[in-house]
Amino acid sequence: MCALETVRPSLPGKPFNPTPVWLSGWLVVVWLITVDLELSFETLFYGAQDIVEYFSRYSTPDFSNLSRYVELMIQTLATALWGSALAFIVAVLLSPLAARNLTPNATVYRIAREVLNFMRALPDLLLALIFVAALGLGPLPGVLALGIHTAGFLGKFFSESLERADAGVYEAVSATGASRLQVVMYAGWPSILREALGYTLYIFDRNVRMAAVLGLVGAGGIGLALHDTLRMFNYNESAALIIVILITILLIDYLSTWLRGKLN
Amino acid sequence: MSKIIIRDVAKRYANGFEALKGVSAEIPAGSFTVILGPSGAGKSTLLRTLNGLEIPTSGSVQIGERPVTPASLREIRSQVGMVFQQFNLVDRLSVMTNVLTGRLSHRSWLGSLLYLFQRCDMDIAHDALIRVGLTDKAWNRADKLSGGQQQRVGIARALAQQPRVILADEPVASLDPVTGEEIMGLLREICTRDGITAVVNLHQIELAKRFADRVIGLNEGVVVYDGTAGGLDRATLSRIYNRNGDQIDEQLETMLAYA
Amino acid sequence: MSSSKLCWPTPNGLPALGPSAILAASVLLLAISASAVELDLVRLFTAIPRMLEFGSHLLVLPDWEYLPTLGVNMLQTIEMTFLATSIALVISLPLGVLAAVNASPHPAVFHATRNVLTLMRALPELVWALVFVSAVGLGPLPGIMALSFVTVGFMGKFFAESIEVIDPRQIEGVAAHGAGWLQLRTFAFFPQAFPDFVGTVMYILDHNLRAAAILGLVGAGGIGYDLVMAMRMFDYDRLLPIALSIYVVVTVLDRMSDKFRRRLI
Repeated sequence: MCALETVRPSLPGKPFNPTPVWLSGWLVVVWLITVDLELSFETLFYGAQDIVEYFSRYSTPDFSNLSRYVELMIQTLATALWGSALAFIVAVLLSPLAARNLTPNATVYRIAREVLNFMRALPDLLLALIFVAALGLGPLPGVLALGIHTAGFLGKFFSESLERADAGVYEAVSATGASRLQVVMYAGWPSILREALGYTLYIFDRNVRMAAVLGLVGAGGIGLALHDTLRMFNYNESAALIIVILITILLIDYLSTWLRGKLN
Repeated sequence: MSKIIIRDVAKRYANGFEALKGVSAEIPAGSFTVILGPSGAGKSTLLRTLNGLEIPTSGSVQIGERPVTPASLREIRSQVGMVFQQFNLVDRLSVMTNVLTGRLSHRSWLGSLLYLFQRCDMDIAHDALIRVGLTDKAWNRADKLSGGQQQRVGIARALAQQPRVILADEPVASLDPVTGEEIMGLLREICTRDGITAVVNLHQIELAKRFADRVIGLNEGVVVYDGTAGGLDRATLSRIYNRNGDQIDEQLETMLAYA
Repeated sequence: MSSSKLCWPTPNGLPALGPSAILAASVLLLAISASAVELDLVRLFTAIPRMLEFGSHLLVLPDWEYLPTLGVNMLQTIEMTFLATSIALVISLPLGVLAAVNASPHPAVFHATRNVLTLMRALPELVWALVFVSAVGLGPLPGIMALSFVTVGFMGKFFAESIEVIDPRQIEGVAAHGAGWLQLRTFAFFPQAFPDFVGTVMYILDHNLRAAAILGLVGAGGIGYDLVMAMRMFDYDRLLPIALSIYVVVTVLDRMSDKFRRRLI
């Protein structure tokens, strides 16, 4: 309790807090989408039991075709490896051109940036479809699709890393009379090597996942196998396939995390 | 031997700030010149116009017979070594490789792509390391060295270019006073022995007095003194370090008393 | 220079051990897997004329009547992305707390949550989409379910990592004033990790848009179905519009998230 009635100087007006506006806006959009997509959470809720029953069909995996699955998985890994290697090479060639501090002129910069953006924006599935049409079925179209699409990501990562490297080091190497290429090789790549390898491992990781599903359009095996078993309602074999895919991806994840740990 | 001719160099930035307002000087070949001045005086800008890291808005710079132009940059730079305040070594590379970057202008693009050097480049780099006293650290990673050692590598890198001019932008500002003196001594000794023209930015008046043949005093982009180190009396120093051209303030007095 | 013997900048003149080992290992791996990948340079080169021919087929006038449907389906793809990411966001916030070693109530909970999140993100969205389509039928619903599920796996992990790198002294300060368990997480952990959270959400939105664009392949909604059908039916007058609309939407989102991120930093 205040003993005296003091006259307090008034506080400055409370600044407008936009958070409730954003939050309500977000909820409105979510609701609108639910309506537009005709989603019925009732059917989802009542169907929950059906879903549980559905997943129980996967409880007895059938590993009789295991050797074929492993073979397909190896093909998937090989596809991811080659795709990542292709992406790496393309990214190494393009990224210095797409780095503002290393590019020879503004036009080259913009073209390199746009090419990388374009490669990133095209879904690898679309590229896979095109390459399958051109090359026929098999893992090779998958390699090209993954390689081109992820080259866009790696190229962007690399060029941004090159831009963030210490400007003083670039200056010092150019001040010796080195050419632009030499500056890239001696001040650029050595400065970002660790980051660059980390990104490459991350992309390889991602490519293993994508290679597994590109098979759905004929670009390599295991995705197609899963599609077939599900279409035939062969839940036991599907379960086995999913487990093989799962274990492989987890192993690759573990390996890549370990490698990235060693890089640091 | 290269003398440097600076003719009426002015540098004005896009935001209107005039770092240099018509600077002219003639730096004799083989001399050891120190540019003194307060921060913001334009010392760095002036130094960087000498190897094209800054392009003057007007005026010209000539090193030896060659003018510094965008076309002649690589050629000029191969003859002009630079030592930086932050050392600017490539951290992840070895000391030897850092020194070898001084030889890059003599290497073909293909060899550089594969990180290949010629035997004679290795010998020149080795000699440079001997001169700065760091041969035992040749294969260590550059970032594992102390500040003073890293600056020696910087000097070795400049030496490896077999330059006619060495520019040093506040080479000892990041070092303790004892190490700073060592580095200045090393620089002076090397430049005198090889007849290299040296231009060094410093803010330490003591060091300028001790090591310079010539001193150029710069204040707010204008040359206010151009003469020997011996001529740095109180009046000259207050001209160089005076702010706003007004009367001398207390801080300046104190600083000059210890200079 | 007279002496022309070339060497590397190492004590013995040979290339450095680390980089050479990595290079050798990579080349070896690629060589071994070349057959698994059915690498055939002849096949590649003979396909080039076919690719060019395909390219020329694309340059036709678009199927004008199809464009409204394209718009609707593209919108559906965007909506799926937004909804799935929103659902995942709500679920990932508490899960991220549980999976952060400095915010989790108990080590057992921490490990369990981490493992669950790892499993959730192990399989690609398309695999889950296949499964969910088989469970609930065709349409955007299985797609949203698949996307949300996998997104929780990634978002939960990223959120947990953001929480783990916050400054413990700021937390101590709030805790010292008697904040409860939940209050601590809301008022001390969350505000610090917030900028990272936003960055994560932007990145995931970008990723999910691309993922949503292909879910239609298996009937889980979005533009993917149109894309595959157009290829299969050789509807070249639809292919370019579809590809372009995907490109435009993805690029617009990319630029928007860049700008948004810059405004926050």
